Amino acid sequence: MGIVKIFYKDDCPMCPSAKNLQKNLKENNVGVESYNVGTAEGLAEATFYGVMALPAVIIEDEMENSLGEWRGNVPKMEEVLNVVHGS
Amino acid sequence: METTDLNLFVRTSEETISDWNRSRITDALIRETYIDYDTANEISKEVERMIWKSEVKMVTAPLIRELVNAKLIERGLENERKRHTRLGMPMYDVDSLILHPNKENANVPHGPEATNLTLAENIKKEYALLSVFSQDVADAHMNGDIHLHDLGFIDRPYCSGQSLEYIKKFGLNLPHSLSMAKPAKHPEVLLAHLVKFAAALQSNFAGAIGWDAINIFFAPYLEGMSDDDVKQLAQMLIFEFSQQAVARGGQAIFSDINLYWEIPKHFVDTPAIGPSGQFTGKTYGEYEKEAQRFVWKLFEVFKEGDGAGRPFFFPKPLVHITEKFFKTDGYMDFLNHISDVASDKGNTYFVFDRGETAKISECCRLSFKLEAHDLLDAKQPWRMRYCALQNVSINLPRIAYLAHGDDTKLLSLLTEKFVLTVKAHKEKRSFLEKLLSLGEDGPLSLLTMNRDGMPYLRFNLASHLVGMVGLNEMVQIHIGEEMHESKKALKFGLKVIAHMNLITEKIRTQDNMKIVLEQTPAESTSYRFAKLDLHHFSPASGRIVKGDISTGEVYYTNSTHLNVKAHMNPIERVTNEGVFHPLIEAGSISHVWLGESQPTKEAIADFVIKTFRYTSNDQIAFSPEFTICNTCGRTSRGLYEICPSSTCNSPDVDGITRITGYFTKISAWNKGKLGELKDRYRNAEFFGGQKKAVNE
Repeated sequence: MGIVKIFYKDDCPMCPSAKNLQKNLKENNVGVESYNVGTAEGLAEATFYGVMALPAVIIEDEMENSLGEWRGNVPKMEEVLNVVHGS
Repeated sequence: METTDLNLFVRTSEETISDWNRSRITDALIRETYIDYDTANEISKEVERMIWKSEVKMVTAPLIRELVNAKLIERGLENERKRHTRLGMPMYDVDSLILHPNKENANVPHGPEATNLTLAENIKKEYALLSVFSQDVADAHMNGDIHLHDLGFIDRPYCSGQSLEYIKKFGLNLPHSLSMAKPAKHPEVLLAHLVKFAAALQSNFAGAIGWDAINIFFAPYLEGMSDDDVKQLAQMLIFEFSQQAVARGGQAIFSDINLYWEIPKHFVDTPAIGPSGQFTGKTYGEYEKEAQRFVWKLFEVFKEGDGAGRPFFFPKPLVHITEKFFKTDGYMDFLNHISDVASDKGNTYFVFDRGETAKISECCRLSFKLEAHDLLDAKQPWRMRYCALQNVSINLPRIAYLAHGDDTKLLSLLTEKFVLTVKAHKEKRSFLEKLLSLGEDGPLSLLTMNRDGMPYLRFNLASHLVGMVGLNEMVQIHIGEEMHESKKALKFGLKVIAHMNLITEKIRTQDNMKIVLEQTPAESTSYRFAKLDLHHFSPASGRIVKGDISTGEVYYTNSTHLNVKAHMNPIERVTNEGVFHPLIEAGSISHVWLGESQPTKEAIADFVIKTFRYTSNDQIAFSPEFTICNTCGRTSRGLYEICPSSTCNSPDVDGITRITGYFTKISAWNKGKLGELKDRYRNAEFFGGQKKAVNE
C-alpha cells in the first residue's frame, strides 16, 4: 500500500481542497503525510521532491518508489485510492 | 615642568620632525574623541610626564598616541579610545607582507602593486570593524561566527553585472577622466571600451564584474566581417581580459562573460544598437547567426588556450542552457564544441535556466534571476545593471557544536546569526549610501554618473548576500552522518537551508531589503572557520574538520556541497547537490573534478543534457588539472611534483586547477584549499583517464 504525501501552503488558493483530500484519505485509513511549505520541514521535503507548484500530491510505495503524482492540482479521491491500492 | 623645558623631538605622521608640543595631544583628543578640555589637558600632562621620566630624545607620533590610549583606558573611556585608535600594521607584518605572497586570494599575484593593495586592505579592514560595523557584528566576525567578506574593500559594493549596451549607447564617458570617447564605430574600439570600463568598474567593486549576453550585443558590429576577423576579435577579447594584470593590485579583473547560443526570449524583439550608438533598425532576434559565429570563435580560442596551451584564467565563459537552446539549429554541434573545451581546458560553465527563468551570472556563484521589471528593462538593455552590496557568510558547523543535538536550539541559533548578518548588511548599506550621497565629488563618483536618468548603480535594486559554509559538517555534528551517507542526513541539510530561505522571505517583507542566499565561494573562509573552530571547540572539532590537522591544512566543506572526498559518481553528486539549488536564489554550482582524465566531448555533452533534464542543479563546471614546467615550457595533464617529460624532469613546476570559481596556480592557494585539493575525489573511474601533454 502506498503512502500519500500532500504539499500545501496557507495562502494558496487551491490548497484547501488538498486539505480536504487529506481528511478524506485519513478517514479511509490511507497513510498520509502532509507538508506545509511555509515551514522549514515542509519546504525541505517539497524541495527534495522538486515540487514547484502547489498543491501537490505524491504517492510512493514502501521503498519510496513513485507510484503517481499531481503537481499544481488536486486529484479526485478515487484516483488516489486507485493508485494507493494498486488497481 | 613647562613644555618648552622638554628637549624632545617628535617624528610626525606628516614625515617631519617637530619639537615637542603637548597641546597637540589635547587638541587631537578634543577633535577626535569629543572629551572635555580639562580631561584632555590632564591626559596630555600625564603623557608628557611619562615621556619626560623616560629620558628619551625622540618619540614617534604612533607611540604618543598609544600612550594617550593607555590613559583613556585607565579612565574607563573605552569608546573614546576606539575613536582615538590609530590604524596600521606592525613593522614585522609589513616586512613579511612585502617579502611573502598573500594567500587569502589566489588571484592576487606577489609584487609591489599587490603589497600596496594588501596594506590598504588591512587598514580598511580595521576601519570597517571599528567604524562601519557595530561591536556585536565586528566581534561575530572576529570570533568566526560569521564572515564579512571583502572587508578590505569596505568602501565599495561587492560585485556588479551589466550590459555592453551601456558603453555602446553612451561611449566611454567616465567622471573625472581626462577624455571622453563617443560610442564606438568599430568592433575593436568597442572591445577597448569594454576592457577599460571593466577596469574602471574593478576599481569600484570588490569582486566580480559580469557582462550579459556579450556575444549577442557584439553581433551588430560583426556584420560583413570574415570568419578570420571574428576569430581575431574573439582572441583579442580573451587575451585583453586575461592579461589585465596591470589593474588593481596587479589582479586580473575577475570577469564573467555570459553567452548564449540562441537569442533568449527577452532579447528577441529588443531593438539592436550598432556602430556609433545608433539603432540598426533590426532586433537582436535578427542577429542570431552573427552572435553564434562570435560565441563559436570565442570557444575556439578557449580551446587553444594561451601561448603555452594553458587554460585562460579569465574571462570565465558562462553558457546559458535554456529550453530554447535545444530548439535552436546547431545546438548539438555547439554543445559538443563547448563540451570539448570543458573537457580539455575546463573553462566552460554550464548555467541552467529552466522554465521561464532568465539569469545573469556574476561572480563565482552569484547569479541574478531576472524579475518582471528586469524583463521590461530588457527592451532597453543598457538599464540592466545589477549589484550585490555585500556578502556575509555564516559558520554553520559552529552552530551545531553549540546546539548539542537539539533541533530547536540549532534553528534558533541559526536565526540569531542570520539576524546578525542582516544587521551587518544594513550597516554596510548605510555606509555606502553615505558615500554615494556625495555624488560625483565623492569616492564612488563612477557609480553615481547619470547618463540615462538614473545613477549607474541602481541602489534600490541591490542585493545583499547571505552565504553558508560547512553545511555538511553541521549535519555531521548534529546527526552523526555526513550528507552523502544517508537520505536522512541530506534531508536534514535541506531543512537547514529551507529555514534560511524562509528567513530571507520574511526579512524582505519586513525590512524591504533584497536579502538572498548564495553559495559562498569561501576561498579563505572555509579555512578560517575550520581553524577557529579547531581552537574553540576542541576536541569535538578535531573529528569534524576536513583536511589534515597535522599540517594545518584544514577546511570545512564549501556551502551546501557534499564532502569532496566522498567516492560517488558525478551524476549522483550533481543530482544530490542540485537538490539544494532551488532554495539558493543567488546561485549555486557543482564541481566535477576531472583530475587528469579527459572525457570525450560527447560524454560531457550527454552529462550536461542529463543534468538539465533530470536534476535541479543550477550550474556545473568540469575541472581538469595541469602541470606547467617553468624549465621546458611543457603543459601536462594532471598534477606532478616534477615535470613528467622524460627529457626534463625539472622540479620547477606549477600546478593549475580550479580553486573555487576560477582557475589559478596552486602555489598561490591557502592551506585550507591545499588540504581540499588533496582530498578531492577525481572522477577518473567514471570518465576514464588519459595522460598527455596538452601542448605537444
